[in-house]
Amino acid sequence: MDFTVSEELGNVQQLAQQILGDFTEVDKLKVIDQQDERFDAELWKALAEAGLLGLDIAESQGGIDLGFYSLTTLCEEVGRTVAPVPVVEVLVGAASTLRRFGSDSQKDQWLPGIASGTTLVSAALEEYNNDDPTSPACTGNKMDGGCAISGTKICVSSANAAARILLSAQTEEGLIVVLVDPKAAGVTLHPQHVTSGETRYELVMDKVQVPTEDIVATASEARSAMTWALQATRTALSAMAVGVCDKMMRITGQYTSEREQFGRAIATFQAVSHRVADCYIDIECLRLVTQQAASLIDQGRPANDEVLTAKIW
Amino acid sequence: MNIELTPVQKALQQEVREYMKTVMTPELLEETKNPEYKEGGGPEFRKQYARMGADGWIGLSWSKELGGKELSHIEQYIFTDEVVRSGFAYPFLTTEAVTPVIAANANDEVRDEVVGGVKQGKVTIAIGYSEPNAGTDLASLTTKAERDGDHWIINGQKMWTSLANYADYVWLAARTDPDASKKHKGLTMFLVPTNIEGFSLTPVHTLGVRTNATYYSDIRLPDKYRVGEVNAGWKLITGQLNIERLSLFTHGQVDSLYQDVCQWAAETPAPGGGKVIEQPWVQHNLAKIKSGLEVVKLICWKQVWTMDQGPLNMADASVAKVYSSEFFVELYRTLLEVMGQAGTIATHSPGAVLKGRIEFRWRVGAVLTFGGGTNEVQRDIIAMAGLWMPRTR
Ligand SMILES: Cc1cc2nc3c(=O)[nH]c(=O)nc-3n(C[C@H](O)[C@H](O)[C@H](O)COP(=O)(O)OP(=O)(O)OC[C@H]3O[C@@H](n4cnc5c(N)ncnc54)[C@H](O)[C@@H]3O)c2cc1C
Repeated sequence: MDFTVSEELGNVQQLAQQILGDFTEVDKLKVIDQQDERFDAELWKALAEAGLLGLDIAESQGGIDLGFYSLTTLCEEVGRTVAPVPVVEVLVGAASTLRRFGSDSQKDQWLPGIASGTTLVSAALEEYNNDDPTSPACTGNKMDGGCAISGTKICVSSANAAARILLSAQTEEGLIVVLVDPKAAGVTLHPQHVTSGETRYELVMDKVQVPTEDIVATASEARSAMTWALQATRTALSAMAVGVCDKMMRITGQYTSEREQFGRAIATFQAVSHRVADCYIDIECLRLVTQQAASLIDQGRPANDEVLTAKIW
Repeated sequence: MNIELTPVQKALQQEVREYMKTVMTPELLEETKNPEYKEGGGPEFRKQYARMGADGWIGLSWSKELGGKELSHIEQYIFTDEVVRSGFAYPFLTTEAVTPVIAANANDEVRDEVVGGVKQGKVTIAIGYSEPNAGTDLASLTTKAERDGDHWIINGQKMWTSLANYADYVWLAARTDPDASKKHKGLTMFLVPTNIEGFSLTPVHTLGVRTNATYYSDIRLPDKYRVGEVNAGWKLITGQLNIERLSLFTHGQVDSLYQDVCQWAAETPAPGGGKVIEQPWVQHNLAKIKSGLEVVKLICWKQVWTMDQGPLNMADASVAKVYSSEFFVELYRTLLEVMGQAGTIATHSPGAVLKGRIEFRWRVGAVLTFGGGTNEVQRDIIAMAGLWMPRTR
C-alpha cells in the first residue's frame, strides 16, 4: 500500500499549475468566454512546449511517457483553473486510446502532432440516449477500401478543429472503432452549447467513407478499446472534478473568512464553516476514489468497479 | 501510487482472520446473545481474551520493551480490521489507546500490574472522562482528587463509563486544582481499581449498548495509581483520544455486513416474484453503499499509511472520523431498508435475519458520531486546520 506521489508527478503538477495559472486569470477567461469556441490556442501551445500534451505518449512519438496517472494529474489542474483546453477528449479519449489500441502507422501519424500541439484528434463516445460506446447505434458498412459510417454522436468536443474523431459503430461483423475526418463528405456538424459554457457538436454522419488506414480496431479489440476509453475518460473527468471542487471550496473558505456580517467574519458562524467542512470531507472522498481508479488503470489492471465508484462520487 | 495490500500484508490479514475464527467459539456466540455480554465481559469472553494474550496477540503495536512487536500502523490496522470483522468484543480502547499511555507515564509497580495484566488478556480498563455536566467541554469536569499524604481522596460522579461493569480499572480524569482559571491545567489522571472501597455504579441502558454511571465516594487511592504528573492530565487525555480514533473505524466489519446482505438479497424471494436483489431500488441502495464503502477502505488505509510516514494532519483525522461515523449510520439504515421489517428482529428472537447483526449495529452506530469528540467539533477542526478559517466563537 503506497500513496506516495512520485517526484516526477509532483513536477508535472507544479509545471501544470504554473502554466495554467498564467493563462487563466479572470480577465483572460472573460475574453475567451466571449469567443465562439471556449479554446485557448496559446495555452495549448504552451502546454505542448512544456511537454504536458505528451504525458501519456511514447517518447518515440514525441511524448514524455509518464503514463496515464500523470494525465489525471494534469486534468485535475485543468479543473482547478477551469482552463479552456480539451485535455480529456484529446489526450485521454483519443490519444491515450490510440496509443494502446492503434496500429503503429496510426500512432506515428497522429500522436506526434498531438504531443506537439499541431494536430487535434478528438473522441466521440456519446449518442442520444446512449452513453455506452461499446454498443453504439451508429452503423458501419464494409466497402472496398474501408467502410461507410452512418449515425449521430453528440456533444463532441473540438469537432470543428479536429483532424480526426475517434468513435465506434456497429457492423455486421461486430463493433468497429474508426477515425472519422469531420471534413469528409457526409459529415454535418451542429454546434451544441452545454452547461460548462463550451460549444460542442452534434456529429451527424451519412455514409461517411473511412479508408482502411483509419480503422483502429474491430470486434473484441474494438470492444476493449471502447471500454478502456470510457473508463479512462470517466476517471479523467473525476480528476477534473477534484480540481474544480477543491478550488471552489478554497475560494469559499477564503471569502467567508473575509466577509463580515454582524461585526464578525461569517466563517465564525458554524452554520457556514460546517458546510465548508462537509465539502472538505466530500472532496477528500472523491480524491481517494479517483486516485484508486487512476492507479489501477495506470498499471493496466481491471478497474471497472473502481471507475464506477469514482464516477458515482 | 499503488493502493493495494502487499502480499506480506495480505498474509497477515489471512493469518489474523483464521485465528479469530478459533476465538469466536460457539459458546461465545451463545453468550453474546445476552445483551449484558454483547460488549464483552462474560466468562467465555474472559477465557478467549486471556487465550489471545497467551498466544501473543495482545499489544502487537507496543514497543519491544513492553513485550510488543512494534507493528507498523498499517499492520496494526490490518489486525484491528480483522478482529472487528470477526465480531469479537476486543477491548481496543484498553489495549491500543490507554495502555500505551499508562506504560509511558505510570510508576514501575503499577506499570507491571496493569500493562502486564493487559498483555496477558486479564485486565480491561474503562474510560472515565465524561460527567453529567462535562461532555464536549470536557475540561470543565468537577470530580475531584485531594492529596492526603500518600493517598488521594476522590469524590464525584462520572457518566457513560462504558464497560466499567466488568472492567478492572477506571482510567479517571479528576480535578486536582480547584482554581477555575486553570481549567485545562488542573486535571490529573488516575487508575481506580473497580474493587476499591467507595466505588459503585448503576447501569445506563441506551438505544444500543449498556453503559454506566459511576460514583466515587471518599475513595482512598494510593498515590502509585496516579499516572503522570499532577495537573498534567490534559495532555494524556488528548493524546489518547487521537489514537482511539484509529481503532474505532475499520472497513472489514461494515464490509462483511454489506456482503452478507447482498448474499441474502440474492437468495431471498421478492414478493412480486424473482429475488430481492433483482429490484432496481435494491440495486441502487447496494450500489450506493458499495461506493461509500470504498471510501471507508481508502480513508483508513490512507490514514495508517500517513501515520507510518510521519504525524497525521489534524484535519485528515477529523475527516476520517466524520465521514466514517456518518456513513456507518447511513449504511445500517440503507441495508435495513433492503431487508425490510424482518431486518428489525433482534438476535435472540426467532426469525432474526443475519443473526440480527445489522439491527444491533444500527442501534449502536450513532455513538460513533459523538463518541471520541463530537462531529460538530470535528467540523470545527476541519475548517480551522484544513482550510485556515477563523475559529468559531
Ligand atoms: C453509549 C455511550 C457510551 C459512552 N462511553 C463513554 C466512555 O466510555 N467514557 C467516557 O468518558 N464517555 C463516554 N461517552 C460520553 C461521550 O463521549 C459524550 O457523549 C460526548 O463526549 C458528548 O458529550 P455530551 O453527551 O455531554 O454532549 P454535549 O457536550 O452536551 O453536546 C450535545 C450536542 O451539542 C453539541 N455541541 C456542544 N458544544 C458545541 C460547540 N462548541 N459547537 C457546536 N456544537 C456543540 C455537540 O456536538 C452535541 O451535538 C459515552 C456516551 C454514550 C452515549
